[in-house]
Amino acid sequence: MLRSEHCIVRYDFRRRTVHPDRLIRGRHAHYLAAMRLCLRHYRRGIGEPRQRLHRAVEETLTRLGDCPPRRTAAFCKLLDDAAEFDSDPKAAATMRQHVFTAAAPLHPIVSVREGIFEHDVQAARKIVCDSLRLTWDQIESQMFGDVIELQRLVSFDEQLDSLALLRRYNLAQTQAALYRATQVRIDARADLKTIVRHVKLARLMHRIEKSDDHPSGYRFLLDGPGSELRRTTRYGVRFAAMLPMLLACRDWSLAADLVSPRGDSMRMTLTSDDGLHSDHAAPPQHDSELEQNIETTWHRDPPSGWTMARESALLVQGQTVFTPDFVLTDEINRRRIYLEVVGYWTPEYLQAKAAKLATFRDSVGRKDRWLIMVPKGSKAEDADCLRGIEMPMVVFDKKTSPKQWIDQAFLP
Amino acid sequence: MIVRMSHPRNDRPRVDFHEGTLRFWNVGRDFVRKAMTGIPMAADDRDDCFRCDAVHAVALRRRLAESLAGEFDWDVVDDSFRLAFPSKESVRLRADQVEAIEAFTGADRRGLVVMPTGTGKTVVAIDLVRRFSSSTLVVVPVRDLMYQWHEKIRSATGVDAGLIGDGVHRVSPISVTTYDSAAIHMSRIGSKFRFIIFDEVHHLAGPWRSDAARMSAAEFRLGLTATLPDDPDRLSVLHELVGPTVYRQAIGDASGKTLADYHVRRITVEMSEKEAERYRELSALIQRFVHDQRQVDPSFRWEDTYKLAGQVEIDTGRATAADQALKAFRAKRRIEEHAGGKFRVLEDLFRLHAGQPVIVFTGSNVMARRISLRFLVPCLLSHCGKRERREWLEGFAAGRYPVLVANRVLDEGVDLPEVKVAIVLGGMSSRRQAIQRLGRVLRKNNRDQKAVLYEVVTEATKEIQRSRDRRRNDAYRKR
Repeated sequence: MLRSEHCIVRYDFRRRTVHPDRLIRGRHAHYLAAMRLCLRHYRRGIGEPRQRLHRAVEETLTRLGDCPPRRTAAFCKLLDDAAEFDSDPKAAATMRQHVFTAAAPLHPIVSVREGIFEHDVQAARKIVCDSLRLTWDQIESQMFGDVIELQRLVSFDEQLDSLALLRRYNLAQTQAALYRATQVRIDARADLKTIVRHVKLARLMHRIEKSDDHPSGYRFLLDGPGSELRRTTRYGVRFAAMLPMLLACRDWSLAADLVSPRGDSMRMTLTSDDGLHSDHAAPPQHDSELEQNIETTWHRDPPSGWTMARESALLVQGQTVFTPDFVLTDEINRRRIYLEVVGYWTPEYLQAKAAKLATFRDSVGRKDRWLIMVPKGSKAEDADCLRGIEMPMVVFDKKTSPKQWIDQAFLP
Repeated sequence: MIVRMSHPRNDRPRVDFHEGTLRFWNVGRDFVRKAMTGIPMAADDRDDCFRCDAVHAVALRRRLAESLAGEFDWDVVDDSFRLAFPSKESVRLRADQVEAIEAFTGADRRGLVVMPTGTGKTVVAIDLVRRFSSSTLVVVPVRDLMYQWHEKIRSATGVDAGLIGDGVHRVSPISVTTYDSAAIHMSRIGSKFRFIIFDEVHHLAGPWRSDAARMSAAEFRLGLTATLPDDPDRLSVLHELVGPTVYRQAIGDASGKTLADYHVRRITVEMSEKEAERYRELSALIQRFVHDQRQVDPSFRWEDTYKLAGQVEIDTGRATAADQALKAFRAKRRIEEHAGGKFRVLEDLFRLHAGQPVIVFTGSNVMARRISLRFLVPCLLSHCGKRERREWLEGFAAGRYPVLVANRVLDEGVDLPEVKVAIVLGGMSSRRQAIQRLGRVLRKNNRDQKAVLYEVVTEATKEIQRSRDRRRNDAYRKR
């Protein structure tokens, strides 16, 4: 991620919108060649100090004529992020101590000797070099080798190409714009469980509402504990950290409330179709083979009037969210079955699962039912903790029919 | 256990700490409105509770005890820390230090203590830490100071204090951190410390850094500074986040008693022919730029250049010109700062004061390193680790190194060994910096010889102007 001093955004004060810097295919096509050169500076620059690499990138990008210093600095940061620099603070500190100790009796080191007790620069350097058994060039190049701008490049990401670098830039600028965000709203229609998981990972708080305009849509309002007390950008970095994951999900739109540097309320919007990319993989379609088998079995013989959807409902209690693995819906009679698959059977896992199911048991509609599905031959079938929550259970094998599942769920 | 109950298990009123805020459960809106007046509280439907900043912990608890008939649960303080002082070095306190300590303890253990640099603010704070024997967090402006506090705490109490910042995250019953690290981590550590000390408390400004205080639930809060902010709004924020001004000692009271007398000598350095020529070229470029801009926009001021340089998408031509002007401006500054003549002056001053410890202040890390490399003397930079820092400071104090070069980042409060000769190269002027810097050089006893502060500035540049500003400043005025 970039630092905020690299952030370039355009504020449209009339529309109160924020537009992060974005390099686009047609208008910025000439950047691709420049990126190739920058990548070459790093690939061929093994052993060079960081400040020399930055200077080379700066010269290359200045020649483009439309690359402001901030954008250049941002590219340097992204290139550095793909690189590894040598830093051995201990070795440099040890060398400094040896040099200064050896030189202390020679002080003051003068340019031209006047008194007989004085030492000139050349003589002093020779004494220091002899005592360290190094050449002056070695001392000069290594003495401050731990200073960030003097650190030497050790290796560079072999895979990174110019297009990927441009994509990283576009993503990083959008993330940087979010540093100034006070609240983020996401309207999502797929991959709900993944979104919830990453909201938790980013340590954000949520309000979740069912969306009116889409049957399987939810609206997430995200911010942090202190947001209730004042408008704060404190959680901006958390929104930014979440963005790459969101880009790997499907069918969402995002609206962020931001504060401009002069304090105005602004808005930034983004959707899954806006062409931003992240290196995150798309969420897996199934958590396990078992779930896949259950879905296949259902679609072989779906009971009439019923539909199956995977992870399409969110049950919310305060800051805890539960996403049943499947929701079976009977549209006509407006009833649902929340189907939860219990595939693992370590005692801790079963305990936790049972506790969570118990918490959410009563948070479904009056006509709705729960159904626990365990694989054949698993110990989960006999687990006391699962029996204790008194939910209907089905042992899954490929021969059971979906009709039986429904009957089981609605047993009186 | 994965399940976190959103409702507490019993129905008793309960307060807990949540990321720098306090959550207040099982109370009604009417109760909050009546009993909690003056404490900014918000109803929070996300957690079904009321919420306020952790800084209000003491007030909230007091109100609860006063207004509730029954019991309540106070789950705010994480008192897992056990404190023990392996050794107690006894320090004889001066009368003014005792006064400061009594003023603070008498004022509910919350407030600001104003004492000039060199009068032992740290001694006062460490004595309070020992008196209270509570978990303590010290918040300091820069990393160098963090290590220095660590060292002082170790010698005064025997405790190896924790460090939070500079790539280290070791949280212990007594810990030291920087303002920026505190602002980041306070949401997690804000309930762990009963006593919080803000060194150079005037840094507690702006919404981000204020979080360092706002998110701490510490009962005892001490702010130390040599100079309170002049701006009444900023001062009232300090009062709100730390406490009232409980003790104040003006610089005049300390000077003469605890600070040595001093001379200020200004030495001007002429630029070399080459430097001067380049300097003139750059100045001309900037003048031409400003002139051109005024043709386009008569109200144009130099300050607008920064904004203009960013507007590449809107007006590439003007932005590029602005960028060049800025580069020229920075290059001019570099010539002023790095003028070769300064090395000659340094050489002469080192000669003049051979055998005496000399501290050199520079305006940048680059200049500090150049001097270090030219004269082969240690430089104290922000990247130095704890051990190296101690080696330079102790080695310099013990006379193992003749000179110590330090960059401006060390300006505030970093304790340097006693010296009689200090050299300042191309610094910026400001009232507070001048006070801090002088305090460093002019420290302590040994009155047979007066301290000298040399200022080395480049001739015919703005640096001279800045130095003049500084001399006019009251911090330099002799009594």
